[in-house]
Amino acid sequence: MIKKKLKIKNKLGLHARASNKLSELANNFNSQTFITFNDERVDAKSMMDILLLSIAQNDEFQIEISGDDENDSFKAINNLIDNLFDEGE
Amino acid sequence: MFTISGISVSPGIAIGKAVILSHTLNEVEAKNISFSQIKSEISKFNNALIKAENELLKIKKDLLISQMGSFTSFIDIHLSILRDEKISKNTIDIIHSNLCSAEWALKLQADEIIRKFEKISNPYIQERKHDVMQVCENIAKYIVGSNQKISHKKNNSILVAHDISPADALKFKSTNFISFVTDMGGPTSHTAILARSINIPSIVGIQNAKKLIKNDDVLIVDGDSSTIIINPNSNVLHDYYLRKNHWDTEQKKLLTLAKIKSKTLDKKNIQLLANIEDEADIKSIFSKNADGVGLFRTEFIFMSKGKMLSENEQFVIYKRLASNLKNKELIIRTLDSGADKVINNPNTESQNPALGLRAIRLCLAEPDIFITQIKAILRASIFGRVKILIPMLSSINELNQAKWLIKRAKNLLDAEDKKYDKNILIGGMIEIPAAAIHIDTFAKQLDFLSIGTNDLIQYTLAVDRTDDSVSHLYNSIHPAILKLIHNTINAGKKFNIPVSLCGEMAGEERYTKLLLGMGLHIFSMHPASILRVKKKIIETNCKKNTQIINKILKSDQQSEIETLVSKLNQF
Repeated sequence: MIKKKLKIKNKLGLHARASNKLSELANNFNSQTFITFNDERVDAKSMMDILLLSIAQNDEFQIEISGDDENDSFKAINNLIDNLFDEGE
Repeated sequence: MFTISGISVSPGIAIGKAVILSHTLNEVEAKNISFSQIKSEISKFNNALIKAENELLKIKKDLLISQMGSFTSFIDIHLSILRDEKISKNTIDIIHSNLCSAEWALKLQADEIIRKFEKISNPYIQERKHDVMQVCENIAKYIVGSNQKISHKKNNSILVAHDISPADALKFKSTNFISFVTDMGGPTSHTAILARSINIPSIVGIQNAKKLIKNDDVLIVDGDSSTIIINPNSNVLHDYYLRKNHWDTEQKKLLTLAKIKSKTLDKKNIQLLANIEDEADIKSIFSKNADGVGLFRTEFIFMSKGKMLSENEQFVIYKRLASNLKNKELIIRTLDSGADKVINNPNTESQNPALGLRAIRLCLAEPDIFITQIKAILRASIFGRVKILIPMLSSINELNQAKWLIKRAKNLLDAEDKKYDKNILIGGMIEIPAAAIHIDTFAKQLDFLSIGTNDLIQYTLAVDRTDDSVSHLYNSIHPAILKLIHNTINAGKKFNIPVSLCGEMAGEERYTKLLLGMGLHIFSMHPASILRVKKKIIETNCKKNTQIINKILKSDQQSEIETLVSKLNQF
């Protein structure tokens, strides 16, 4: 299992479209994926759950990924966050 | 017979019968099922999910074909809500655990999700609860089979709904409803945008329309007085039929004016420009034969996407507009958000947003937003006659900073080897009294001026027009307002730069002769008002009105000004 802290860098944080991209990506992998923020742990495959965490720019959250493709999944999610969800800022 | 009122979002009169769009989720009742029915309830639910998903996919495809790209991001969000396990899986769990019908299980789950959204303090995220409601409502309709076949409806139907979702709006675009009436919504809601784009009178924000109106009730929707008369008696009905006929003939007559030159009787050429919010508005510019776009309110394209757009996303929109306008001018106002039009900034909770961090102030505080937009506008400038308009200037300092940032944007484009119009004209909105009073300083340093009367009146008279207790004090022809407008027009003459007026006052034909008399030559307004104002222009002889105009400008009596303005309009 991978358990890491990640920081949101894009300006708007995890708003609807970014939450959507993140959950779609998590859904592309078999691994179970959970996000913990402010003591709340949610399934990263649910767009609404991610959105409801209300994560803003520079917030840090914990991600847990477990399954046969956990390494690939983590890499992809990390990339998405690094690329600012393709929002350019 | 009784009357209710709301917010009119599109003018005109409609007389017809109410068709209530049922709100299934609000109306379902708790229903228990037996153990053996679980399977069939689950398959009912799953089938509904598939149908609702297919409907969204089809709408998305149609949108892409018809190039209404700005709506697709809504559809994407709706699709991901629909596919979320919180809905798809949890509803099935509830059917199992509570032994209840699919629609009731969905209602319980939707309520639960909506409660969570309501607890979020970020207003942007909280607003998404409407998306959840609209998605669940659509699934519920497919479960209970109440998805009305609206294409087979009778003529003269008025749609009465709790709210119209973007998906609904697109479905209704091609039906022949003659009016929309909704509980929810404001001037920028989907209902409003839809009503204006297909040009039918509509009233939103009535709160309890669905409670007060029954199917087949006869309704008169009066978009001019923002009222709806329910089951009118025969006298009122007769009166409204006459008014409607009158309105319809006027509209037809007005259309013939489109081709006529906009010129006063004493041969002054007057420019008529349109205020637009969306690319779709461009059609009306050609049908009304407007001279161009006097005000492109860019904040609405941001709002419809719910986020800041990148330089490229903006560039594509501005470029398309500039080239579609052929050789007509396009004045792009930089972001005017803040106050009533918050995009996506949770930190904008100010006690007094109209006086807070908005428009150019926001852009100077967040120069990245401004530079991104300016670069996009500059790049589009080689595809048409593009100008930049800066809102809410209150000091020369702000203007200097804005100009410095524009120069920086140009340098960045030079470094990227991208083309733009090096001599692009920069104008300023005159809407803060400080700028109107100190107008010469601004006129000296700007290429054109645009008077924003809505804010100028609000700030000068210290009246919030949306506050019922003081709205009667809002007065477009208060002597102080006329003085500020007149000074601004005169400063334009003195420094030889064009002055336009783009507030609502420009579209109110009662003031056309007055403004012409004060020396205004450029009017920018909602496209729907252009021909009405043109009609006034072509029957005006400015020379003949000089005496009355001078009297008005000298008067300090409100009642005298009112009488003189009425007198102006009698000729």
